[in-house]
Amino acid sequence: MNELLQTYPEEVKQILAKYPAEYKRSAVMPLLYLAQRKEGYVPRQALEDIAEILEITPTEVASIVGFYTLYYDQPAGRYRIQVCTDLPCALRGADRFLEELCQRLGIREGETTPDGLFTVEAVKCLAACHRAPVFQVQGDGEIEYHENQTVELTLAWMEQVREKVRAEKEAQS
Amino acid sequence: MANEVTLTIDGKTVRVPQGTLIVDAAKKIGIDVPVFCYHPKMEPVGMCRMCLVEVGRPVMDRATNQPVLEADGTPRIAFGAKLETACTTPVSEGMVVITQNQKVASARREVLEFLLTSHPLDCPICDKGGECPLQNLTMGYGPAESRFLFEEKMHLAKHVPLGELIYLDRERCIQCARCVRFQKDLVDDPVIGFYQRGRSLEIVTYSEPGFDSYFSGNTTDICPVGALTTADFRFGARPWELKPVASICTHCPVGCNLTFNVRREAASGGKLVIKRAMPRQNELVNEIWICDKGRFAYHFVESPQRLTQPLVRKNGELVPASWEEALEAAAQGLKQAGENLVVLAGGRLSNEDLFNLRKLADAQRGKAILYTHMGGGDLTQQVGLTPGSNLGSLGKGDAVLVIAADLHEEAPIWWMRLKAAAERGAVLVVAGARPTRLERYAAKVMRYRYGEELNIIQSLMDGAVPELSQAENLVVFYGAEGLDLLGTNALAQACATLLYRSGHYGRPNNGLVGVWKEGNAQGAWDMGFHTVGNYTRTLSEAAAVLIAAADPAGDDPLLAQALDRAGFVVVQELFLTETARRADVVFPAQSFAEREGTFTSGERRVQRFYPVIYPVPDCRADFVITAQVARKLGHALEMASPAKVFLQIASEISHYQGLTYPRLAEVEEQWPPVGRSDLYYGGTAYDNRQGMGVALPALCQQQGWQLPMFWNDRLPERTFELAAMNQQGMVWLVPFNRLYDRGTTVKPSQLLEKRMVSAHIALHPETARAVGLSGVEKVQVEGLDGPLPLVLDETLPQGVAFYPRSAGVPALAPRGVKLHAVKAEVQEG
Repeated sequence: MNELLQTYPEEVKQILAKYPAEYKRSAVMPLLYLAQRKEGYVPRQALEDIAEILEITPTEVASIVGFYTLYYDQPAGRYRIQVCTDLPCALRGADRFLEELCQRLGIREGETTPDGLFTVEAVKCLAACHRAPVFQVQGDGEIEYHENQTVELTLAWMEQVREKVRAEKEAQS
Repeated sequence: MANEVTLTIDGKTVRVPQGTLIVDAAKKIGIDVPVFCYHPKMEPVGMCRMCLVEVGRPVMDRATNQPVLEADGTPRIAFGAKLETACTTPVSEGMVVITQNQKVASARREVLEFLLTSHPLDCPICDKGGECPLQNLTMGYGPAESRFLFEEKMHLAKHVPLGELIYLDRERCIQCARCVRFQKDLVDDPVIGFYQRGRSLEIVTYSEPGFDSYFSGNTTDICPVGALTTADFRFGARPWELKPVASICTHCPVGCNLTFNVRREAASGGKLVIKRAMPRQNELVNEIWICDKGRFAYHFVESPQRLTQPLVRKNGELVPASWEEALEAAAQGLKQAGENLVVLAGGRLSNEDLFNLRKLADAQRGKAILYTHMGGGDLTQQVGLTPGSNLGSLGKGDAVLVIAADLHEEAPIWWMRLKAAAERGAVLVVAGARPTRLERYAAKVMRYRYGEELNIIQSLMDGAVPELSQAENLVVFYGAEGLDLLGTNALAQACATLLYRSGHYGRPNNGLVGVWKEGNAQGAWDMGFHTVGNYTRTLSEAAAVLIAAADPAGDDPLLAQALDRAGFVVVQELFLTETARRADVVFPAQSFAEREGTFTSGERRVQRFYPVIYPVPDCRADFVITAQVARKLGHALEMASPAKVFLQIASEISHYQGLTYPRLAEVEEQWPPVGRSDLYYGGTAYDNRQGMGVALPALCQQQGWQLPMFWNDRLPERTFELAAMNQQGMVWLVPFNRLYDRGTTVKPSQLLEKRMVSAHIALHPETARAVGLSGVEKVQVEGLDGPLPLVLDETLPQGVAFYPRSAGVPALAPRGVKLHAVKAEVQEG
């Protein structure tokens, strides 16, 4: 039973079509993004599923997950707030921004807010030093930059997101 | 030679083939460039930077394309601004390499400083301590103090089981990837990998069971630190307390050279015990590798279940007796039987044992019969591989045919070497009734139905694969899968005919190799043992049977019944097997680890093994037991020493002529050098100082050789009719080999228990439907005791039922059977 193939039969087909059959192992990265789409991380079963589709070992799939920082092996919030704290950003107060943000949210770096919506992480270089403090948000399959941030601005944006999510839920029920 | 280049390393001039790496060129003249990630058996990657050296090249005048000369007439050498990695840089003409100067020493110190940032330096409790290049290099070049903050050392897990055989110590790992590359490139089992990056990097496995590879133990040999260790040896002893003793693995016909490490220890009551089994280098046999069966399945030698005293049947019971009493009883029984004696021996005995057993049979005018399901050993003598053959040298222009064998399961090191041969350009043809792992590397896969093996050989003779028939050299490996004794005889004959007709015999790298189940089956043929078509009848009609190292009664209830009908039964064994239980006299034999002797491998290389541990008290070597029984019968057989028995072998058996123990103990210089605590670190495989063995000539090389019973016309199309058998509602019951079976010499190694195959019947789902077994969990095989679990497998051929050999299914050779469903039992009451 291949869960990934069952959930996304069309998507898997489209991805595989981009690679010559004898090099289909190259499809491992797009398939990992696909596997990560729903839960925001690559579940253990997906390693087996992808390995089966590509006829490689789950260990080989896992080593790709391990190597690249944009694949996650642990569940986290729906949105990952990733703050750059490298030197140029720190000079513009990024480290203090991160510390204060965590304080206000009542979590530590790497943790998730109690509503399960936001995970705050420190990352290296987002290539936007001149507009620090800066963070990128990963979630819902997209990446979005937030530049020249203050804690207040960030908290306001988070509130907007919460609103949006609430509205979605109501629309569903 | 035109494609050689000359260079200077540390002032010494060396001439090496073009393309040679600096690190290897240096080693050739005795200069060690330290390495961690580089291994001479693998492609270089240049990851660890330990091998940095200073490299200069002659300055060329662009106008004339001639070297620019200094005032004194020597070429001007330009050194690079930076050091270069000796493991990735090929040599070039006029190159000047400096491996020892201030710059290089400082680079080494700094690389070590990096490698040691998080290394725990726990050498005093590390299994690798004493044979570790990181330890040696740290002592030689390492900085006394690190500039890194001590508090920032990573503290990582130190007992990570990568499965139950291999453990990882994350702190010790220096990320050289030797293990990962070995698994991927050399044995194509990429079941361990790197996870994360930088200081968080770790080695992981996601296979089930963990680190699922028959070759996993080799990674602990080539690991240049104590990151990977075996569950068998972990915390077992310090390497410098261990004595190395040369031996030969008996588990399969490859004949891998081993070194057993032994020590006397208080924990074992002061006894001399085996601490670990290691590969011993023989580039002609196993290179520097062994499979995990060879490494872990030696524990039968020290099993507490071993027989320790002779047993004699009195009033229907086997009771302990003295040697004198037992020998007397055996002699009496055999004497009464007269000429109707059958000597039945297994292929794990040494040549010396088998020779004496055959001499006893001859002296009593009895029969010497090899207990096997596979024939053709007489043909491998005629057209087998010849001296000068080396699977490691096969490549472009050569061809290999493997038929009816699953080498990955039956002889893993042959599998590994043939895979490498195919990758070097040899044409590999794999013929089988079902898919096997060797097929991945085959130039051509030939699929047949059981019974149609000869058809494949005929088609090859008709030129179906011209690259094979027209190859310069051709080696044929034939096995016994799906074939009984008659079938393998026919297949061996067909293969010999193929080799003969295409002229692929009687010269190096050509000939026939039998994929025997037992390590010394070829030796048994050579010592004069033969097979019989019907073991049941032979046993039941014998007035007396002498059985050594074989368990027919445990293998098949029909043979057990036959043995019960036989007259007098004498058994020489390690364990109280089913066969021993039925004997009138049982002699406790020594295992191969307690005495010396010789084995002849499937490639027909005669190799010596040496006494590893002291004999279990009161056990005697098989050749001695046989000779002592013979003496009671009035025959003088050699029993003074195996060497003396071997002298007789050499004088009586033509192709063993001229061989002596000292000759078998000769060694030659091998490449790459391993096992000498070099900084050019090849791993902990042992250097071979005790003998590389001698390859036997093929009989076809002798003068006056006559063509034996090869086929003249076309081969018969089938050995039997699978379709007709299926029409009668029967299936062909085929034993398949699994490396980890439950045989007498495997089962006592508890470490492998989880990976040992269990008794079951496997069918293609269509076949299950055809014989009315859909949805059934257990089946009864007609003629066998007890129901067996049923497993469905779509990769199997149809019309056939499979079961694992030596795993408790009491059947020896293939046969046609009916299968019945077993209803789930309903508990009453």
